[in-house]
Amino acid sequence: MMSNDKDWKRKLLRDMVVIRTFEETADKLTLRGKVAGGMHNSSGQEAVAVGVMSALDPKDVIATTHRSHHHTIAKGMDPKIVMAELFAKSTGCSKGRGASMHLADVDNGNFGGNGIVGAGVGIAMGAAMGIKQLGHKKVAVGFVGDGGMNTGRTWEAINMAVINKLPFICLVDNNQYAVETFIDRVTGGRDIAKRGEGFGLPSFTIDGQDVLEVHRYTKEARDRALRGEGPTLINALTYRYYGHNGGEKGQYRTQEEIADWRNNRDPIDRFSAQLIQEGIISQDEFIALQTEVTAQINAAVEFAEQSPYPDLSTIYEDVDSGLLGARS
Amino acid sequence: MEEVFVPAVGMAMDNAVLLEWQKEPGDQVNAGDVIAIIETDKTTMEITCETSGTLGRHRYTPNSEVPAGNTITVVLGAGESE
Repeated sequence: MMSNDKDWKRKLLRDMVVIRTFEETADKLTLRGKVAGGMHNSSGQEAVAVGVMSALDPKDVIATTHRSHHHTIAKGMDPKIVMAELFAKSTGCSKGRGASMHLADVDNGNFGGNGIVGAGVGIAMGAAMGIKQLGHKKVAVGFVGDGGMNTGRTWEAINMAVINKLPFICLVDNNQYAVETFIDRVTGGRDIAKRGEGFGLPSFTIDGQDVLEVHRYTKEARDRALRGEGPTLINALTYRYYGHNGGEKGQYRTQEEIADWRNNRDPIDRFSAQLIQEGIISQDEFIALQTEVTAQINAAVEFAEQSPYPDLSTIYEDVDSGLLGARS
Repeated sequence: MEEVFVPAVGMAMDNAVLLEWQKEPGDQVNAGDVIAIIETDKTTMEITCETSGTLGRHRYTPNSEVPAGNTITVVLGAGESE
């Protein structure tokens, strides 16, 4: 955390604006056919990503989901590197091989997104097991959606974390829709945190649209893990403004519902209003911040557009660890 | 000026076929109007405009292939031209 509380809060706001601007921009480019393989827009879920990362140390590990731009940017990846990966360009974090669902930066604790529902929990649990074995002072956070909490392997991983008292946090980025299916229709008992209690770990349902609340619960969970007291489950209630994937014409929720979340619970609106009221940022400064971020994201698009695609001669690179010998 | 385009939807959409135009060049259109019907590899889709104004020229003829992301026409605001 920054020593100056005001600077720290301004950074939280800026990080959320960066993510929102990135997503709104990338979504339009996806519809224009610029993004290889499409994307999953996280607009509306910024406070979960920024709140969690603001409570982590840079060396802490995360593993995420198919919807991972917000986690990745909040973890510290430069938006231009993320954009280049979406464009499948060689300057992207995965050298253009992975696009939207395979954003990773292992050296900086981002073990990546993936296309398998709920898999981030298992990957992060494995990382937590390694952290404990090696005696490191850090934690691993596994992101998962509400849909992933209805898959078997997720709870298998949580059970492993509990019985081994691993430095692990299961972070449910709960946007309430598994593709087109509303959570209450498919979640027995309806309460994910109560399920967690049944597995024997402290479990909390929190307001995922409140960046400071997400920060506070994540920090407490991290402190608990570092004291050797094992994992925590955090069920952060949030909402995505767009479809499951780019261009989706969804008929499964009402425009009124979407408008209610956008107009009354938007994480950026709420936090900016709070900071303006507290005198931490002025209205003019907030507008200047948005303008500055828009320029940054436009520059990221320019970088992605100008970058080359991977050269065909590199096609066998990074397929294995290199131990099997070079191929050509 | 709004560019009306064929959106890339799904994971691997390359082309669509423009089935028919619903509005003619010079027509006054309103936001939300259906401008054209297209067929993708999975379904038929209505292409709507987001703004109101005057429709520009048709850039594709019926039954021609349109690469995903390409502009098929524009909606011109007052005083605008193509």
